[in-house]
Amino acid sequence: MTNAEVRADRPGPQAWLVEQSNLLGLAAIIVLLWMAFTARAPGFVTPFNLFAISRSVAIDIVIGYSTMVVLATGGMNLAIGSIGVCSVMLAGYLMQKLGLPVPLAFAAGLALGALLGFANGTAIVRSGVNSFIITLASASLFMGGMLILTKAAIYNGVPPAIAAFGRMRWGFISPLLLIALATGAALLILFRFTALGREILASGANARAAELSGVPVGRVVVTVHTLSGLLAAGAGLMLMTRLGAAMPSIGEDWLLPSFVAPVLGGTLLAGGFVSIIGTILGALLVATIRSGLLIVQVGNFWLQLFLGLILLFAVMVDRYRGVYAERRGLGRSS
Amino acid sequence: MNVAQRLLAKEWSALAAAILAGFVVLSLLSPEFLTEFNLYVMLRSFCVVLVVAFAQMLALGVGQLNLSIGALGGLVAIAAGGVMDKLGFPIALAVGLGLLIGAAGGLANGLLTVRTGINGFIITLATASVFTGVNLGVTESIPFYNLPAAFVAFGTERFFAIPYLLAPPIAVGAALAFFLARTVPGRYLLAVGGNPQAAELSGLPRDRMIVLAHVLSGLLAAVGAILAVAQLGSAQPTIGADWLIISFAAPIIGGAALTGGHISVAATSLAVVLIVLIQNGMVLAKVDPYWVQFLLGALILVAVGLNRLRALHARSE
Repeated sequence: MTNAEVRADRPGPQAWLVEQSNLLGLAAIIVLLWMAFTARAPGFVTPFNLFAISRSVAIDIVIGYSTMVVLATGGMNLAIGSIGVCSVMLAGYLMQKLGLPVPLAFAAGLALGALLGFANGTAIVRSGVNSFIITLASASLFMGGMLILTKAAIYNGVPPAIAAFGRMRWGFISPLLLIALATGAALLILFRFTALGREILASGANARAAELSGVPVGRVVVTVHTLSGLLAAGAGLMLMTRLGAAMPSIGEDWLLPSFVAPVLGGTLLAGGFVSIIGTILGALLVATIRSGLLIVQVGNFWLQLFLGLILLFAVMVDRYRGVYAERRGLGRSS
Repeated sequence: MNVAQRLLAKEWSALAAAILAGFVVLSLLSPEFLTEFNLYVMLRSFCVVLVVAFAQMLALGVGQLNLSIGALGGLVAIAAGGVMDKLGFPIALAVGLGLLIGAAGGLANGLLTVRTGINGFIITLATASVFTGVNLGVTESIPFYNLPAAFVAFGTERFFAIPYLLAPPIAVGAALAFFLARTVPGRYLLAVGGNPQAAELSGLPRDRMIVLAHVLSGLLAAVGAILAVAQLGSAQPTIGADWLIISFAAPIIGGAALTGGHISVAATSLAVVLIVLIQNGMVLAKVDPYWVQFLLGALILVAVGLNRLRALHARSE
């Protein structure tokens, strides 16, 4: 199999086909949209616009991973935006105020993201409370804490190398996209070939069964939240290279895209199934629509409406596929 | 159990104690706190938050989440404000239209949730984006300022410390308490939230109750939005943008269970009082407004922790 679909139980050939149909459908929609936008506005496929799309899709992909890894266990993380901005502001502070070198500051930012994610996971497991409510509260806590400490200041005196990296072009794509794809490859290996990946999916498919068969579900939940925090920090730092500054407004509008990409890609909300290629395609669809609407001058104001309609459409198609799969006796791990 | 123990066992006892302590501390520390004007300011900021909290509370009552309350509120705000400003609709008609949009949005949420069987979280996340999208697309972020004088006056006038704006939320709260405690649909609603399987087996119309809860939630979001327009004196497209956290904070601090079936009008109201008190205290102490956000998050975590402890304690007895 060459696909990126990973699930807890071994799928039969029919189930495999159903899952592929989702990815193929998504890819077909993206191709159609690219054709439509190119026909309407030739500016859509200029090297400059392709570069802009590659840069924004790279960030959306990593934001999507951040939610995807938590969805794998059937949990949620509403604090992704807050964690991302905390990491960015820490890195910005370390570089601008303390003059730390870039790699060290970025490492500190990533470490903070992982730490905040770890705190989320620990709070969820220790309290036994729904991850939705814990991360909703911690999002407010992290964001408030960041604003109190930074007084909402923008750090725009960070080394110019950061902005230079954000502007760097390899052909017509941004190296950021390669980072996103490499991260995807690492996640693919995690879910497909490691015991931890299997344990994560097993916990999401059926937590009780997993617990009974010796999977340390609590530790798994803490691990995915730590990973989610790390990825959120990564997305934030990638966005910082694009903006060339550490801004406290980063992450404000991440909630919707963080769910759109994985859910469009077929990752189950109930847990037990993730699709990495699906998340990449989902993010690409969002980026395509965003860029296309700008270029055909529909304007940014309607973008939100389209995103919502697409998400609605996608979940309904997904539901239909689920019903279809059940009728065929394929069953999903939900 | 003696009286003290029985009081402690009540879920809102900790809330009432916290409010009392906050009141005493603030009135001792700040001479401005007990002035008529400050009380008026506090009561006025209480109004919108209370109705918004009720909107989420009803969704939580049937075990649902409604992420679209703020977005729907924003849409209602600009619709009601827009028809008054641009089309010269009379106040009653504009308010009626706003309530209708709220109920229709809630109906859409409910039907989509029930018909597709998809988690209400993701449905309302999507519809929230749709509502906000329509709002931004129509207004292009430009507010409606030209509202009838009588409408704006309702948002600012007061009887000593009591704002007129307080009347609708109080009426809504009383109606809601009556509805949940004394009417058949209200009892059904909570039964469905408490144990969907059992409710289904005893023949309760589970799906219809979920739709009803969403409709009422949308309607209350609309009430909150109209109150917010009156309070601000203009229909801002950003109304509702910051409702998400507060809508969950109040019912949960008030002890609502996310699993459904367990909500309380009184406890939610007390939680809103506590939140408003904290906000007011921050303003009087001239602290960074960011502290409110921080404390709200901390307060939710403390509340869920306390509820958890209480549940464990109850089980061990």
